[in-house]
Amino acid sequence: MTITKKSHLLKLNFKLAALFTLFSINISMLSAQDLTTKQKDSAFLLRPGQELLRKIKKSFAKTFKDFVGNDLYLFGSLDLAKQTINDKEVSNPLNYLYNSVNSNSFKPVYSAGIRIDGIYKEKHPYSFIFAINRITTGNKYLNKYNSAPFLEDFTHFKADNQFTTFSIAAHYKKLLPISDMKKYKFYAVAGPSFDYKISKISNENLVDGSSNRALVNADLGAEFNNNDYYIIFAHYKLGTNLFNSAVPVQLNRFEIGMTIKAKDLF
Amino acid sequence: MKKIFILSIIAAFTLGIVSCNKEVSNTKADLIQTRLVNKTWYLDYSITGSVTKTFVGQSTYFITFLSDGSTKDSDGLTGTFSIVNNNGKYELSVKTKTINGNNFNYTHLIESVGEKKMIHSYTADGQSVKTILYFTSK
Repeated sequence: MTITKKSHLLKLNFKLAALFTLFSINISMLSAQDLTTKQKDSAFLLRPGQELLRKIKKSFAKTFKDFVGNDLYLFGSLDLAKQTINDKEVSNPLNYLYNSVNSNSFKPVYSAGIRIDGIYKEKHPYSFIFAINRITTGNKYLNKYNSAPFLEDFTHFKADNQFTTFSIAAHYKKLLPISDMKKYKFYAVAGPSFDYKISKISNENLVDGSSNRALVNADLGAEFNNNDYYIIFAHYKLGTNLFNSAVPVQLNRFEIGMTIKAKDLF
Repeated sequence: MKKIFILSIIAAFTLGIVSCNKEVSNTKADLIQTRLVNKTWYLDYSITGSVTKTFVGQSTYFITFLSDGSTKDSDGLTGTFSIVNNNGKYELSVKTKTINGNNFNYTHLIESVGEKKMIHSYTADGQSVKTILYFTSK
């Protein structure tokens, strides 16, 4: 009994599916008949957006034709950071007790992002790095003032010591003749990087136009590539304000991290 | 096509430069006010010329500033206060009444203010020597 019911249901489904297909074909035929002459003409042309995208892609491919063998990697790193603050040009009536704001030590930074490794003109290895960095820094204030014995050492400025940046780096990699170079590759790397603060800047940091969001860094480091399975890297970054500031800040970072090929993960 | 590419690079660069412009704090007066209010400030020292007086460990003058702009002090003066920017110098303008209802207004220059320490100065009428007051908040 149940088998008969099932077969009836199957037949009904089949009929409905056939009806739906016929109906769809009919609608599309009708639609095709309803097209205006202009629409018919434009159907043979590429859409302007698609055409522009195709042209941009072609242009990029032409411009970057020498950048070959690109591989996409994901990376994460742990850094240590300290900033040196020179508040000599700030003249505000605020005081921050030196011992409470000065911590001449390195604090942790967490970074994550993507990098593209490739070879330029089949000779020069490079990497482009795009990262988000959550930075906590130790602070070294170069200037301290006092009004002894009434007021202990103080500064006129308090720098933000927690912020988030988006960074871009371009590194040149030099293969070092160490170990079995077919399996293990050691590189010395160097290049510029750029950090842009994306987190809110405190009001204390904005007095006298003392803060700006952009930092430019010089990066130096070493990398170990284990047969393209993963790369372990150690970088040192020395950064400073990109634009003139009443409070020049120098940001020192040591970075240790690991990258894995994206296609190995997904 | 090359033009479009160059234009897009220029546009991206310009956007980057524009977004990197310096930001400016609302006012220093806001920062000063934040440090000043909801605290009671006790006078530790006063210096007039070469005369230094210390009040540490003694019964001393104190003044309270509240976030609603009101103030009262240990002499019984009550009233209002405001931070005034006078050509880049920040002044504390206090308008009070004595217990007898007489007006008593004064203005002090804020030399420095922090979470715990504050320095004021003023030159009394008819005097040429500046008086500096050192306060601590408790």
